[in-house]
Amino acid sequence: MSDSKQMSQQEVSAEFTSYYLQRATKEFAEDLDKVRTADDFKNDAIHLLVNALQQGTALFSPEEQRRIVESGAERK
Amino acid sequence: MGKRQLRGAENGDGPRKRQRVVHEAPTSEVIHTSRQLRQLLAFDPDLGRSRHGLQSFKLLLDSLLSRDDDTDSAEKRQQHELRFTIVKEYLQSTKPTEDDENSTYLPDIMQTWSHAGQVNNENLLSAVPVVLALLLKLLSQSLELTPIGLGICRTLLQKRQQELISRSLSADKGKAFIISPTLRMLREAVCFDGGAIARPMFRARMSMLKSLARNMGIVHIGEEPEDIKKPSPRTNAVQFFLSALKYLHPEAKKELLAQRDVVTALTRDIKQDLPYLVLDLLNGLRDYVLLDSKVPREAKSNLLSSTTLIKISGLYYYRQANDDLPSIPDAAHDFLMTACANPSCGVLRQDTGLYPREADPNAAIPSADLEELGLEAIVWMNKFKTEVPVRNFVLSNLLQNLRPWSSVKQSELITSIFKVAPELIADFFIKNKSFTFEPKLSATWIGYAAFLFNTVALPLPEYFCRGSGYAELPPPTSIVMDNILPLPLNQKALSRCLTNKSRMISFFATRILILAVQKLDTAVKMHQDPAHSSKFHNNQALWTEAARRLIDEFCQRSPGIKEMINSYRSIPEDDILHREAASQLLRLYYEVIPQVALMAKFDVAPLLETALRRLSKQKQQKETRSEEVGEDDPRDFALSLKELENLLAIAGYSPGMRWFTATEQLTLSPFLTLLKVYVEAPHGVSLAPVRQVLDFVAVEQQVVPAKDKGHPGISVLLETLKELMASSPSSLAVLWPFLDKCLTRCTTAPVKYLEMLQDLGPKDAEDEVRTVNPLVAAIIEQLPFAAKAADSKSTLDGLGRFLPKFLGYSAAAGESKPLLEAALAVMSDSFAKGLGKSLAVPKKHPFKQAGVGKSIQAKQDRNNTAANGDKPESGDDIAALDSEQLERVLDVPDNLATDNSALVKWQSKSVDELVDEGYAISLISLLASEHASIRKEALVNILKMASKVQQSEYEEKEQIWLLLSELAETARVAAASQAINAVAPLPSTIVAFACHAVNVLRDPTHSLYPKINSFLTRGPFWSVDRVPLADEVLTEEPAVGDSYYSQLNWLLAYLLDGLRTSKDLELFHKKRAKGPLFERLLAVAGNPYMRTPLRMQVLRILYRASKIEGGSTTLVTRFGVVSWLEELLKMKKSMSATQSQGGAGTVVSSEDEVAAYKGLLKRIWETCDKGRVEGWSKGGVESVIV
Repeated sequence: MSDSKQMSQQEVSAEFTSYYLQRATKEFAEDLDKVRTADDFKNDAIHLLVNALQQGTALFSPEEQRRIVESGAERK
Repeated sequence: MGKRQLRGAENGDGPRKRQRVVHEAPTSEVIHTSRQLRQLLAFDPDLGRSRHGLQSFKLLLDSLLSRDDDTDSAEKRQQHELRFTIVKEYLQSTKPTEDDENSTYLPDIMQTWSHAGQVNNENLLSAVPVVLALLLKLLSQSLELTPIGLGICRTLLQKRQQELISRSLSADKGKAFIISPTLRMLREAVCFDGGAIARPMFRARMSMLKSLARNMGIVHIGEEPEDIKKPSPRTNAVQFFLSALKYLHPEAKKELLAQRDVVTALTRDIKQDLPYLVLDLLNGLRDYVLLDSKVPREAKSNLLSSTTLIKISGLYYYRQANDDLPSIPDAAHDFLMTACANPSCGVLRQDTGLYPREADPNAAIPSADLEELGLEAIVWMNKFKTEVPVRNFVLSNLLQNLRPWSSVKQSELITSIFKVAPELIADFFIKNKSFTFEPKLSATWIGYAAFLFNTVALPLPEYFCRGSGYAELPPPTSIVMDNILPLPLNQKALSRCLTNKSRMISFFATRILILAVQKLDTAVKMHQDPAHSSKFHNNQALWTEAARRLIDEFCQRSPGIKEMINSYRSIPEDDILHREAASQLLRLYYEVIPQVALMAKFDVAPLLETALRRLSKQKQQKETRSEEVGEDDPRDFALSLKELENLLAIAGYSPGMRWFTATEQLTLSPFLTLLKVYVEAPHGVSLAPVRQVLDFVAVEQQVVPAKDKGHPGISVLLETLKELMASSPSSLAVLWPFLDKCLTRCTTAPVKYLEMLQDLGPKDAEDEVRTVNPLVAAIIEQLPFAAKAADSKSTLDGLGRFLPKFLGYSAAAGESKPLLEAALAVMSDSFAKGLGKSLAVPKKHPFKQAGVGKSIQAKQDRNNTAANGDKPESGDDIAALDSEQLERVLDVPDNLATDNSALVKWQSKSVDELVDEGYAISLISLLASEHASIRKEALVNILKMASKVQQSEYEEKEQIWLLLSELAETARVAAASQAINAVAPLPSTIVAFACHAVNVLRDPTHSLYPKINSFLTRGPFWSVDRVPLADEVLTEEPAVGDSYYSQLNWLLAYLLDGLRTSKDLELFHKKRAKGPLFERLLAVAGNPYMRTPLRMQVLRILYRASKIEGGSTTLVTRFGVVSWLEELLKMKKSMSATQSQGGAGTVVSSEDEVAAYKGLLKRIWETCDKGRVEGWSKGGVESVIV
């Protein structure tokens, strides 16, 4: 790890959320495109979609989030 | 018919149209002195001149109010000073000599106003309030003139002025030019000097607040938006009202808010109001009412009616052009969040959690009723499936007007309300039937899914009732269920989501289900809380019944396990996020509702292999691309590991997992692949769960010596491999297939290798304890084959590095040195034959490394201890469960406890309901009743039911009919030996068998279906001395796949139900061809591969036996149960170091199990005939237990 300081839980959570979203948009790219062309997709629907996708982070305990995020930090 | 003539036209009066009112612009002049001003404002009966004076004064005041000290030039400021002096001098000159309540300020203006009223001059009726409003505004900025301003305000309160105000306020709706300035004037007055006269103004509310509601309704009309500079009467009225709220005292606010028409008018047209007014209104109501702790709750409730809240919620759709102001939808959201979720704001009422309004959670129910009827004795238990009476009806109405699927904020509002008023969850979904969860790839569906996710994620209310402890009675099951899986999440919709071709839909459904199963787990645990059987409450059985019902209902509402498995299988390999979620869901099913999970014959091996293969692939990619710009993400690896953890846990729970069988897709066996993952894992990845599984499987499959002799188990192998990995990865790579072969052989014939080892050693050392890793023997056996293989050189090179280390560490771990030396000698021979030379490092004696080995061992042990959370390894420190805890763990309520109402209930039900909903089972249970009359009735009814079934269209009608008829026949035959017409009480085993058989017959895919059918076709009645199907399950082949353990589970469940009386006990210890039943059960539980839940079931049977008189004594003296338990304890102790909680999929941890054994030992000692047992064992048993 480049900096030896441990990340705060808030940082871990933010980093994990961003990773989760990145992963979800990659896995469901095709479906997300279809949603974007649906009739009911209006301006604030993007917010709704992002919000819905990132809810899933709640299924990971803080320790699990840290484990995954810090394994990513190893690379740097 | 001729055209009708206009009447007026004949008289020449012209058309009878309303004449248009033309407002002539007033004249004015510039004012230079106070004297001039006084003259201009002096009372003049000439209305034109009066208006001229007032207009001139208005312009003067306008110019004074428009000054800006920051930007105005010095000259302009000087002019302002001059003008202000004019006004000041004028006011002082007209000031009454005596300053009391009755003195009139500005007498000329007041007289002009009064005159205007008398002659009904609308121009003047408008001009006077305009001027007064401006003047008060100006005076409020000057401390010096405040007394005069106050005097003017008091003047307004005099009778004459009050009448004029009242008259102006109630002018025609079209006279906005009179109403608006009057409202402005009143607003200035009420605010003046910090609300100094707000109180007397409120006393004069008959005039001051005249037509307020009406005026709030006079909105701006026209296509153009309302002009900020010319606010409508509504705008002015609302602002006046808000100012009044600000300065009035709490009691007055209460009275003001009690005026329903005003409160309704306040928000009726809020959607059309200007943004600044909406913000003022929301902030004003929040600050002066909601957050004012002195305003009584009742007043707040009056304001926040359903209508008001719904109107404000309409602001979520407010269209705002002006971006300078804060967002109106956000402001409305904040307002509603405060108003609805804060108990002090008057809307939210304290509810009792999951107990609806009409349900008394502590209702006293006669214990006889509870015993007889169970949950059915609670009148309200089944009452709230279609309607829930709530306390928060205002909020309930509001929620129905929100659209959580289209707005994140609205969803947030609803879930916040759900959190503080949990009673509304069930109510909301019962009322909101229009919206289904039918899958459709659209923003709306996703929004709804997100809302449902948040709802399910809400915690259950504390103690279900939000009190300080559990209530007497459990909450209605349907309500708990609606909190766990809300109504739209029904089986059909969820199944369709899981099988939907859009993977995102299946992903969303999976995530919701994960939360739901976790919540179910919490709810069930709350039902099982020991508090229910404390000295204050004793309703444990009732709560247990409710928990069982809850699980049943959950299973009915959740999709089948097969659909989840299929959904998981269909996820592409690269979708690791989705795979992780799906595997987590399955794992939870295995942990929380294993009875459902085990029903599906799910072979986890292929999926585990896929996961392992993918992990190896990811690792390879990582290695090959490590220098390139990283396309791979180590976080993906960590996420995949989580999926692997889930699968490993499932493998632990699955009885049929084959750890040492490689398949086509995988070159190595699952165990070796896992070992490889562990050894080769990148630094920094946590592998504790993998390690736990390796430890557990290695001990269970006997590839390492048991831990009871202080051997560190698989650590020796792992440490050697890790060192090799660090020093020479290439030589390790070629070793895997060889190791796999050796380990697999160890598991298939463990005894063979153990014997082989014993033969190796010197014959004279018989007494020495000879522990050696069986793997060593397998390696000796396989070496010659490896030497002959095509790639022998590289393999032998690798082994040359591996073996000395491995043997050295084995010796350090306490294995028998003589044996290891002998093994080394044999290995060297093979090397000599294969490579033409002996082992690469034989001269350097492997045991010289023993010192290093010891330190490593010490380190390993420390690590192990740390990983196990400092668990005592030996199990000696674990305390036995006390009698209460033991009762909780092992005591199962009597499932054959009779419910006499079953005699009547079944008659109105369809055959489907009889079989599927347990009515048939309840009726059968009555045959175990202690009353002959009930048994007789039951028998008659069973025969009636049998004929009803036979005549029905039910699919399995023949089998059910046969079962019922044979049962009845058995009862009759048994009765023949007794008095005429009496029905003998059948042994409970027979009754329990019949009950459990019904559940098998309704499901043709059940693994026991063939066996039960062949049992039924064997003869017209059953022998009451025998235990049906015991032999078939215990000794015969399972016939259907790997179903031995699930069949055993079924058998144990029915035997547990069938052991109730001393007569039943006889059947359990009766001598039989294959040994007494107890003996066979104890033997079954001695199987080291048997999972803990099954073994616990055997313990429950023993516990049940200990409750029957003479049970414990029989168990001790005839079946040696004390030694049996001791042996189990020893077995557990040997495994406890590796088998930690959850790691290898044990539902009950080793510690719990050990504590249960000890507790049971104690219990058996306490309940046996101590004198007899002592005599029998010559004091041995007591010494063991005490």
